[in-house]
Amino acid sequence: MIKRCLVAENQKLHGAAVWLAFLIVPIFPAVMGTFNYQQNIALLQSAWYSLWTQHTLFYATFFFAPLVGVYAAYLWRLEHFGHNWNLIMAVPIHPIDLFLAKFLVVFKVTLLTQGWVFLLFFAAGKLVGLPGLPPAEIVVWLLRGTVGSVPVIALQLLLSMRIRSFAVPVLVALGGSVGGLLMNSAGYGLYCPYSLPLLGMNANANSDKLTGETFAFLASVAAFTLLFFALAQFFLTKRDVNAE
Amino acid sequence: MEAIVTTKGLCKAYGTHFAVDGLDMLVPQGCVYGFIGPNGAGKSTTMKLLLGLATPSAGSITLMGTPLDRKGRLGLLRQTGSLIESPACYAHLSAQANLEIVAGLKDVPRTDISRVLEIVHLEKDRNRKVGQFSLGMKQRLGIAQALLGNPRLLILDEPTNGLDPAGIQEMRALIAAMPRLCGATVLVSSHLLGEMEQMVEQVGIINHGRLLFQGPLTQLQQHSRGNISLRVLDAAKAEAVLQASGITPTHEKGELILPPLRDEYLAELARTLADKGAGLVGLRIQTKSLEDIFLGLTAAQSAPAAPEGKAV
Repeated sequence: MIKRCLVAENQKLHGAAVWLAFLIVPIFPAVMGTFNYQQNIALLQSAWYSLWTQHTLFYATFFFAPLVGVYAAYLWRLEHFGHNWNLIMAVPIHPIDLFLAKFLVVFKVTLLTQGWVFLLFFAAGKLVGLPGLPPAEIVVWLLRGTVGSVPVIALQLLLSMRIRSFAVPVLVALGGSVGGLLMNSAGYGLYCPYSLPLLGMNANANSDKLTGETFAFLASVAAFTLLFFALAQFFLTKRDVNAE
Repeated sequence: MEAIVTTKGLCKAYGTHFAVDGLDMLVPQGCVYGFIGPNGAGKSTTMKLLLGLATPSAGSITLMGTPLDRKGRLGLLRQTGSLIESPACYAHLSAQANLEIVAGLKDVPRTDISRVLEIVHLEKDRNRKVGQFSLGMKQRLGIAQALLGNPRLLILDEPTNGLDPAGIQEMRALIAAMPRLCGATVLVSSHLLGEMEQMVEQVGIINHGRLLFQGPLTQLQQHSRGNISLRVLDAAKAEAVLQASGITPTHEKGELILPPLRDEYLAELARTLADKGAGLVGLRIQTKSLEDIFLGLTAAQSAPAAPEGKAV
């Protein structure tokens, strides 16, 4: 059943406007980060690592969660439009499978986004004349950031499912990631879902922030994800469909 | 005749307002059932309850012999096609892609898409983006989605809403042909009785969440037999004949008005009137249109008097 949902969700993304956001949004933090790096080149002595701190300063803090929010909002917007809720809830599918399919699709697009961000990072590095290839650790951080984004994806899907507006959940994501940054600085990052991608990507840090905390990180990811899926299941089965 | 849809005491309350109030509905297999009522009468809510899109406050629903509950729901949805409120579609995709999505979700082979496109006459437009479709075409695409997988029950909510006269005509013909073409039982709603007359066999009339009449359309039409007006040369003689037959006529614009009578009895009465020299020159049956019956039924609901016909 989940396979059928997944095929449907992938098909809904064909020629979808959301790919524009996918292409364009990551360019802004790349440009801003690179510019910042060049302005402070005297202080930033760790080559690729320094460039990473500047890129993620913008990308992870201000762009990543809202971009995931845009993906999630777009997928639900398709259902909020017209009376599509009536359609998707009257097909022989467990509603939570539909939610799971949307989750997997957003996860896939998020993973592709991280790949695109890496390409931009690499290009920026070459443009400012950094030698050789970026350290493999950066790739690990990007992937770990994607793992950290799992609860954020689930939360954004939950918000966009319940809130008809496109912008409100995206703004929540922006507020959330700034809050996540503050929680990280206070040392409570593992208790805030929006902090997890920042921790995973090692945003704005030269050395690994998660040393020795991998298990706690994964546990937090799992706990928040389960919570948001449980809430989605509750709303999808206990509430009447209200298509407008 | 097997019932495809049965509801018993079905209720749906929003706060203290009952949108559906004690509905006992029965849709026989293989018919087109017209669900008729003014806007806000509870038609859409009932249809949403039948699809499990909303949960009843009280009462029960049985579809195709299986109770509609959490356990039975998915199995029943597999045999049901629906179009509720307005057609659902993804505007940035082609008609073909839209149907592929629905076929996928319904687990119906994609080969079925050509069949349904043909039924709704959209074969030529299958590769156009649905965003460019007219409302009538979207409505037809909605029907095509509902038809995917040959469901035994089709639930169509105001499928002619917003269509132009030609579109309405086409939709009517399409719906009336469904039982024959696809073997499906159709439950179709409308706020216009006149529109339904041409495509339904069974009707249910609903207002304020209650069913006022349910039965074959022909039975409803029988209620359309109205009073009989007589024009005679000698009213006094005529009245004497009528009184002798136990009928008390009323007077209206120089004519005598009699209650509805059986044809045979009326023929006999006309002969007697002529024989007794009343000078019968005109006899007219005041037929009521279905609209009148409908208005009569829905208006009578607010008055204490019992409505005409087999009120339920």
